Parts: sequence; C-alpha cells; structure tokens
Amino acid sequence: MALEHQKSGARSLELPVLIFGPVEIHRLQRELESLEDYMTQANIREKGKQAPLPKTSRLLEGLAGNNNFNLLLAEDRKKLATFLKNVGMKAPVIHISFAADPSSAFTAKIVAWFRTNIHPYALVQLGLQPSIAAGCVVRTSNKSFDFSLRNRFHDKRALLLESIEGGAKVSGVAK
Amino acid sequence: MTIWWLILILSFILAGGLAFIYVAIRLSRVTTEKKSLEDFENAAEKDVEHIFNDEFREELRNRGRLHFEKILGENAMFLQQDLRLTTSQLNDYMKDEITKELKEAFANYESAITDAKQLAVESIEKTKATIDEQRKVLTAQLEKEVADEKLRRITRFDENMADVVNHYVLAAIGNQIDLNDQLEYILGELEANKKYILEDVKNGA
Repeated sequence: MALEHQKSGARSLELPVLIFGPVEIHRLQRELESLEDYMTQANIREKGKQAPLPKTSRLLEGLAGNNNFNLLLAEDRKKLATFLKNVGMKAPVIHISFAADPSSAFTAKIVAWFRTNIHPYALVQLGLQPSIAAGCVVRTSNKSFDFSLRNRFHDKRALLLESIEGGAKVSGVAK
Repeated sequence: MTIWWLILILSFILAGGLAFIYVAIRLSRVTTEKKSLEDFENAAEKDVEHIFNDEFREELRNRGRLHFEKILGENAMFLQQDLRLTTSQLNDYMKDEITKELKEAFANYESAITDAKQLAVESIEKTKATIDEQRKVLTAQLEKEVADEKLRRITRFDENMADVVNHYVLAAIGNQIDLNDQLEYILGELEANKKYILEDVKNGA
C-alpha cells in the first residue's frame, strides 16, 4: 500500500504503533463517522446553538497529528477515513500469542518491528496462550512460527533425554 | 213208489238212532276212565304229602345244611391251605425276583456311576489341561501387554517429555517470567524468521 502511494505520487501516511490491530482500526473508523455526523449536524443547526464538540480519542489525535491532518476539515477527515478503510481491508494481519498479557510498551516494540521489517501498515492481533510458558507463537495467513519455550523443549528433546539419563545414572551410582 | 220211499226214510231214521246211541255209549265210557285217572293222581298226591310231611322235610333240610356246612368247611380249609402255600410261594418268588431285579439295577447303577465317574475324571482332566494352557497363554499375553504398556508409556513419556518439562517450568516459574525479559529473544527469533514471514505476508497479501 505504501508502494501504491509512492507510485501514485500521493503522500504516504504514517500509522502510529499504538494503532496496532484491526480492533483499533474499526474503533477509529466509528469515531470518525461519529465526528462526521456531528459536523453535518453542526452545519445544519444555527450558529451558537451547536452541541459541544465531542472529545476525540488519543489514537485519533495521534493519527491526525502524525500525518498533519486537521480533523475539523472535511477533506482531511475524508482522507483519514479512506486511509483507515484501505488499511482495514488490505493491511496484512499477523496473529501473535504470548503466555501473558503484554504491556503497551512491549506491544509497541513488537508492532514497530513488524512495521519496520515486514510491512509499514502491518496489523497485529494479540492472543493469550498460557501453555507456551515463554516466548510467542506468530501466525501469518499461511504459516505458523512457534517461538515458544514449549517448542524449544520439543526441539531439544534429545538433549533433555540425555540430561535426564545422565541424572538417573548419577543418582543410581549415588545410591 | 211211495212205500219204497217211506221204507227208505224209516231205514235212515232208524240207522241214525242207532248211531246216536252208539256215540252216547262211547262218550260215557271215556268220561269214566278220566275220572278214575284223576282219582289215582289225587291218591298219590295224598300219599306223597303223607310221606314227605313237614317233619321229614325239616329233617332233610337239617341234614342237607349239615352236609353243606361240612363240605364248605372242608373246602375252606383246603382253600386256606392252598392260599397259604400260594402266598408262601408268591413271597419266595417275589423275594427272588426283587433281589434279582435289584441286583441287576444295582449292577447297572454301579456301571453307570463308574462310567460317569470316569467321564467326570476325564472331563476334569481336560478342563485342567485347558485351564493350564489358557493360564499359560494369558500369562504370556499379560506379560506381553505389560511389556507393551511399559514400552508405550516410556515412548509416551519420551514424546511428551517436552510438555512435561514445559508444564513443570510453567507451574514452577510461569508467573515470574516477564515478557519484557523475553523481548530480546522474541525479536531475535522474529529476525531469524523474517525472510519466511515476509515471504508469507507478500504471498498472502
């Protein structure tokens, strides 16, 4: 998508790492729609009788601020809506499961790695899998990459058996 | 002619009178004979009644009764003797027959019991042999199953050892593993598989 923007000569937009998954994208789309509705209603009403401007979320402000968009301008809002729609439809979604719930900073670092190395608009869907103990399991559309401690134990089973047999022998000799 | 006719008629009348007289005389003779015969019979009956009077008849009846009782007693005695003899013979015969039958029956029973005993012994021996054989087969089967189960459990333990250790690690220090400490490892793994992830993302997109 970034390449499409570059080829078409349009300015490529930046997707903040705080907006990391499809859920956030959908939430921003709904927020933008609400804002659009408010603006339409405000134009219809008499001046001075409009309802107070709804408070925008930190994510929307960050998205708009990073890309130098003014949310009060209809054209900017339209561009943002189009951008979010394209991201939601076309951006690759990567599932990643951890043993515990990751912190925001940790998630941001992981998302930043994906955005830097894999795709600038890569979306990450987080999962919880306590049985993996440590590490993570990454699942793309066609493949699954198991970086968990459980998988590491499976890979090193021979070493584990050797260690256990060695331990048993030592224990037998001691007895 | 009338005289001749008259003479003829008078002759006929005379002949008829003579015949009538003859017949009357004959009939009177027959009646007399019958009367004399009846008199004889009546006289004989009177004599018989005179001879066989009630006393004589009673005497004859008593003699007949005595004679009859005598014959009846003798016959009863003979009959009793015959009956006793017959009973005795019948008892002996019955004893002999019953003894014979019982002996045959006991012999048959004994033979049957011996056969049954033999059959039972043979059956028990066969059953015992079968049980021994089955016991051996079962023992071998059980030993094989135990060995197989042991091998299976060892194999399963070997196969699932990683899970066991993982479970142990998770239970022992699962809460103490901080994700931030794993960041470097995770990023290193991602970096190592970056090529494959990128390829799949491109292909998937």
